[in-house]
Amino acid sequence: MTAITGRIRSVTAPVRAAFARVPRGVYSALGLAAAAIFPLLNVWGVVETAWLRVGVLSLLFVMLSLGLNIVMGETGLLNLGYIAFFAFGAYTTALLSSPKFELRWPFLAVVALSTVIAMIAGFVIGLPTLRLRGDYLAIVTLAFGEIVRLTIINLQDFTNGPNGITGIYPPRLASEGAIASLGDAAWAKWLTVDKPIEYYYLVLVCVVVVAILLSNLKNSRVGRAWNALREDELAAVSTGITAARAKMLSVVLSAGIAGFAGALYAYYSNVISPESFLFMQSVIVVCMVVLGGMGSIPGVILGAIVLQALPQMIREAAGAARSEFEVYRMLIFGVIIVVMVIFRPEGLLPDKLWRSESHEVDPRELEKTRQSLFDLEEGEKDLEV
Amino acid sequence: MLHERTRKVLALALAVVLVFGLFTISGCKTDDGGEGGDATGEAETIKIGVQTALTGPLPDYGAAAKNGVELALEDFGTFEMDGKTYQVEIVVLDDKAEPAESGIVAQSMVDEGVVGVIGSLTTGATLSAIPIYAEYRIPQISGSVTGPKANADSVDTFYRTCWSDAIQGEALAAWAIELGAKKVVLMDDNGAYAVGLADVAEAALEEGGVETLRQNCQSGDKDLSAQVANVKEFAPDALIFTGYHPEAGLMRKQMIEAGLGDVIFMGGDGIKSAEFVAEAGGTANAAGCYATFGGFPEDQQPGYEAFAEKYKAKFGEDVGPYAQNNYDAFGALIAAIKAAGSTETEDIIAALQDLEYEGVTGTFSFASETEGAVQRGDIVVAGLTPANVPRYVIEGEDWVAVE
Repeated sequence: MTAITGRIRSVTAPVRAAFARVPRGVYSALGLAAAAIFPLLNVWGVVETAWLRVGVLSLLFVMLSLGLNIVMGETGLLNLGYIAFFAFGAYTTALLSSPKFELRWPFLAVVALSTVIAMIAGFVIGLPTLRLRGDYLAIVTLAFGEIVRLTIINLQDFTNGPNGITGIYPPRLASEGAIASLGDAAWAKWLTVDKPIEYYYLVLVCVVVVAILLSNLKNSRVGRAWNALREDELAAVSTGITAARAKMLSVVLSAGIAGFAGALYAYYSNVISPESFLFMQSVIVVCMVVLGGMGSIPGVILGAIVLQALPQMIREAAGAARSEFEVYRMLIFGVIIVVMVIFRPEGLLPDKLWRSESHEVDPRELEKTRQSLFDLEEGEKDLEV
Repeated sequence: MLHERTRKVLALALAVVLVFGLFTISGCKTDDGGEGGDATGEAETIKIGVQTALTGPLPDYGAAAKNGVELALEDFGTFEMDGKTYQVEIVVLDDKAEPAESGIVAQSMVDEGVVGVIGSLTTGATLSAIPIYAEYRIPQISGSVTGPKANADSVDTFYRTCWSDAIQGEALAAWAIELGAKKVVLMDDNGAYAVGLADVAEAALEEGGVETLRQNCQSGDKDLSAQVANVKEFAPDALIFTGYHPEAGLMRKQMIEAGLGDVIFMGGDGIKSAEFVAEAGGTANAAGCYATFGGFPEDQQPGYEAFAEKYKAKFGEDVGPYAQNNYDAFGALIAAIKAAGSTETEDIIAALQDLEYEGVTGTFSFASETEGAVQRGDIVVAGLTPANVPRYVIEGEDWVAVE
């Protein structure tokens, strides 16, 4: 095995070295450009509107997995009830902007409040659970997710139970009067977001903002504290990190991002009901983070897009049988995850630190690996042959 | 312990086999939307959406609805209008009988540019699709949405070819009273359909001086012991389960296990499925369960016999629930297009309001306004009374009509 991969590596080494010289920012810019151009393909008639909808959902899941990545990837806490925070955001938005209570709050106020309410929920669940470690935390968060869902089903006066809240108003980016005063100006239409392409750009902007915020945070003191806690809590605490505070910050922040995504989801889907917040959804988001690469922001983005868009692509490829495809979706997920765990446990685009941890190294190779890691850090050339 | 390399190769091979196997499986099933005749080159294609639930808790109802539409596609799918030939293409989308999914499906139907939609299957799912179809002005005819409050906003884009549960609920109550019930438990699954039907039946029972108890569960529940315990304490003569068959079968089974086999078990159209027998734990458990349905008894439906023959010939099975109503829904939509002389949705909606259509289930039109229990878009047909609601009882494996 090592002989084969070694040979492959020696062949691809110059190529990889060339790619390594390209600054990371270039890839980010290329990815962003691709994401920005994608809806234009629909305008030009190359792709169907259905794909635009897949795009919007993928972006929403990108945001969700970026949020989960904070607790799972950076801080190393397994959260299996993550979708509950998504639900908090979605239901807050639905109640404040639908015929249910005859309310239509301004977009920014709704999104801000949805985020804050999800954060409060994160704080409340964090207080008791952050004392737990590992498996126990996973179990408690799993139960939390189910409790939230069952509460939504039974709190009929507020949530309409299993029937969900329908007819959520589309977001208006300016006040009604301001839009009316613009009259027939072509871009005035864009201020009321009600077409797939408009939702796409709205969500894209939000995702970019969140991604930039998080990548800065990752490299800050806070981010390093999270990583230290993940690696060795005892050591981290002894260097002066307040474990409780750092963990709470990560849980609350990730809950807030889920609430934000939930608000956008409620606006976009027009209808929300408890079936959108099943345990399975939490698992899918966990899969996205694991597949993409825990702790790696580009990886998590890729993982979310792959897991959200791939089933749709296969569904389209299967043509008329698309409704039957749904049955096998989970099977494919399973296969992908199994293969990933065997061949690339660190994820598609792994974080440097994670990669170095997830492969068990032959003692004879250790020195070589150490050398190559050192070279990578130095940005010289890949010596591994 | 296998060598690591062998393990990896095996894993990869397994993955490839699974994925390809999958394509072969789905490949076998791509016989959807069989076209009626040879479409000539000059025919203009129009799209009609079929929003149903092929996966989720009610695949049997969903398949029957799709089959009904496919039969109708063969019979009415190609037609002449103003010297032009039109060929209908159906777009089948699955809403899993879930409200949220239904909203997405409705938006996809808008994207597909359909001129009309047959569906959806269930009341709960339809509630989230109705405002979207109303906004984009797409006429929608359902063959199975019986919920009395489905069209609470009285929009002019929603029509149905099945009977409202306002009538079925009264029929259920009347039947329970005829059977001598003095104490009745009503049980719903918190969904729009079940709650609506239970509300109507409960009101009618109380009017008839019957003592009632309301219980509920969730769609997908596997343990109903709490409800069974409440029922046992109340000691009713009959239980009316207004939800769907998966939970109804389970309830029947768990009631028998708790020694409540003597309680008369009744339900609405949601339990009148062949699946109910298996879900109740076999013929012994299911024997003697009663169900009503939202339409005329089959022998009073003028076109039923011919329809059942065609259905059996094409699909090799007996007519599934609401297949003929969906057949009629498609037929009525095509008739409206012809009456309008146009494929513009606004013209079709206008035509539907004055349409009188002779279908399998009888000659009907649609109510033009909401009045009392009748909502806008409800089917209007002679003889639409609780007394005409068909009654079924399980004998062996099958639901058999009760005289």
